[in-house]
Amino acid sequence: MPAFEYRQAEEVRDALARHGVRYLFIGKSGAILLGFPDTTQDADLFVEKTPANGAALVRALRELGFMLTDLQSEEICRGKDFVQLKNGPFDLDLVFAPDGLECFEDAWQRRIEIEGFPVCHIDDIIASKAATNRVKDRESLPRLRSFREYWLSKHSR
Amino acid sequence: MDTRAWPSYNPGMKDVAAKIDVPADWLEDFEAAARRPLALRWKYAFIHTYKPVLDDAAYRSFDTTEEYRHWCELNLPDWLGYARV
Repeated sequence: MPAFEYRQAEEVRDALARHGVRYLFIGKSGAILLGFPDTTQDADLFVEKTPANGAALVRALRELGFMLTDLQSEEICRGKDFVQLKNGPFDLDLVFAPDGLECFEDAWQRRIEIEGFPVCHIDDIIASKAATNRVKDRESLPRLRSFREYWLSKHSR
Repeated sequence: MDTRAWPSYNPGMKDVAAKIDVPADWLEDFEAAARRPLALRWKYAFIHTYKPVLDDAAYRSFDTTEEYRHWCELNLPDWLGYARV
């Protein structure tokens, strides 16, 4: 599997917009969109959990080249809490119920748009990682919290 | 750790450092990233590395996030860092 290229990220953004999918980049990929310098290999999408949104997402994913069976499509429409896709041109994690975030709508209201990419607010990214509390999150959180300070200093004027 | 006296190649960063408590080397990283266009930031960020077990299936789904976290703890090597603290 080659690296997830920016051209492909634009294709994700454009396809999901065409199909009217409500989603947000979250996790490290979201932080990277906000300007956080770090590395990752896949993108995490926080997707609103409704049947209509799930169906729109399935249409967009198929257009992007993900090979979804009918059962897999049904699971995405139903909104399983976590779906890991490695059956397309790049890796995607679909997160319908991220740790630490109660409600998609609240996160949506706080979203940041970066060149058309809808991204969770840095506070929501940190809240989610802090709630998950994995070893790898513990390691990255101090730097992410410092980035938050930096980011807020640049964007709260 | 008082990082504000650390040398900076960008004089403007001293002003930022004076207002926020960020280690100087991280601040330099953040400023450097901010100067890069998004496409370049993305290129530098997305590096594919094989993760054993995690990358060995084309599709996985979990009814709950807790179920996924538990699966990671049971199945992934510790060194990947997916276990909860």
